[in-house]
Amino acid sequence: MHNLIAFFRRFRIFMLFVLLQIFALSNYFTSLSFPRSQYISSASAVSSTILEGKNSVTKYWNLGENNILLQKENIRLRRKISSTFMRLNSRLVKIKDTLYQQQYEYIPGIIINSSCNKRNNFFTLNIGKKQGVKRGMGVFSDNGIIGVIHNVSDHYSVIKSVLTQSINVDVIIESSGAFGLLKWDGRDPKRGSISGISNDMKIKKWSKIVTRGGSGIFPRGLMVGRIETLKPIEGKPLWDVTLRYSEDYTKIQNVYVIKNLLREEQEKLEKKIPEDIVE
Amino acid sequence: MKLIITQLIRFVLFVLIQALVFNQLEIGLGIQVMIYPLFLMLLPFETSVLVLLLLAFIMGLSIDAISDTYGLHTSSLLIVAYMRPIIFNIFAPREGYDTIKEASFFEMGQRWFTSVFGLLLLIHHLWFFVFEMFNMSELPLILQKTILSVPLSFLLCIFLQVIFVTKPKER
Repeated sequence: MHNLIAFFRRFRIFMLFVLLQIFALSNYFTSLSFPRSQYISSASAVSSTILEGKNSVTKYWNLGENNILLQKENIRLRRKISSTFMRLNSRLVKIKDTLYQQQYEYIPGIIINSSCNKRNNFFTLNIGKKQGVKRGMGVFSDNGIIGVIHNVSDHYSVIKSVLTQSINVDVIIESSGAFGLLKWDGRDPKRGSISGISNDMKIKKWSKIVTRGGSGIFPRGLMVGRIETLKPIEGKPLWDVTLRYSEDYTKIQNVYVIKNLLREEQEKLEKKIPEDIVE
Repeated sequence: MKLIITQLIRFVLFVLIQALVFNQLEIGLGIQVMIYPLFLMLLPFETSVLVLLLLAFIMGLSIDAISDTYGLHTSSLLIVAYMRPIIFNIFAPREGYDTIKEASFFEMGQRWFTSVFGLLLLIHHLWFFVFEMFNMSELPLILQKTILSVPLSFLLCIFLQVIFVTKPKER
């Protein structure tokens, strides 16, 4: 017994070090896939207040540019509303359209903190549970997709951005219809890659890459980027595709969170597939 | 008492400067400037490892909470706190440390500071980038980030001392 106590005395510093280290590292590694708590993240009350203060200073740096972007988007949308069109045939009457049902709703938000130089980059958004944001919703801006909601508090949320290790968004090359998963290698915030594109497909450079919309997070056809380089991978029947993101992640401010009104229905249906068939 | 208040103000300043200024910088080439190990370095010589570890833990968590790194800064600051007394012992002057002095660039001399703090900073950055990637296939990127970031962080730490830490009076 005496020896045991002496042992603990001798190594107590080392053991404290190991204990704290285990806490920190396990928190880091589990949080990448599933956040354990919202307290050690920028969605917590204290750090979001600090970031809100920071944002009230730094938001002016890209304000002009972002206003022009919003204006462009407005003009594009304005072209579509009915008051823009002149009525050519006044005898036509409006009927209730049952062919279309609204599937996606968009919640506007502003990014108050972002980074691009880490291996896994998380952005902080100024809307949260009270505004209807939930974990797993997609986020996009007018130029392209941003990421998926990772952690939510009452008034703030954290986005796991496209610039993370395991983002794996379903994407599709618009011209050829080939689909793969979006990846980021951690080097350049302007370029990403797509894995799993078979090299018997004919793919043109600079063709558009859009979301596939399979998992119900993003609607089909949201812009992601354009193919920049195309190389065959040695020893595998796959293309090594590098794409250039259409969004500049260092400057984003105004984004939209996607609320899929039919998500639950889709999930319920997909749960009914017996697991042995999926395997 | 005065010492505690000074260190407390330093603590808050280091956290805010790191989280709100240096973590926001996008220099490119994977460079990430981290100056907060300087806070642990500048604590008095006789500070016990226990206090160092706890301070490192709190400081790391506050930086993590603001910049969404979920414990990565904490982990790498803990290794600095643990290694500090060991490295201080290795580089101890023959007559031991003068406890009135601070472990700063001006009071301990260029050579001592460069070797001790350089080593601590290298350990810190290497630990940070290794666990950030945690993938052997990304070793070139880890080395690139470490080699480019350490000198920049080191220079900025000296620069910060020139501005904020009071120089010893001429005797």
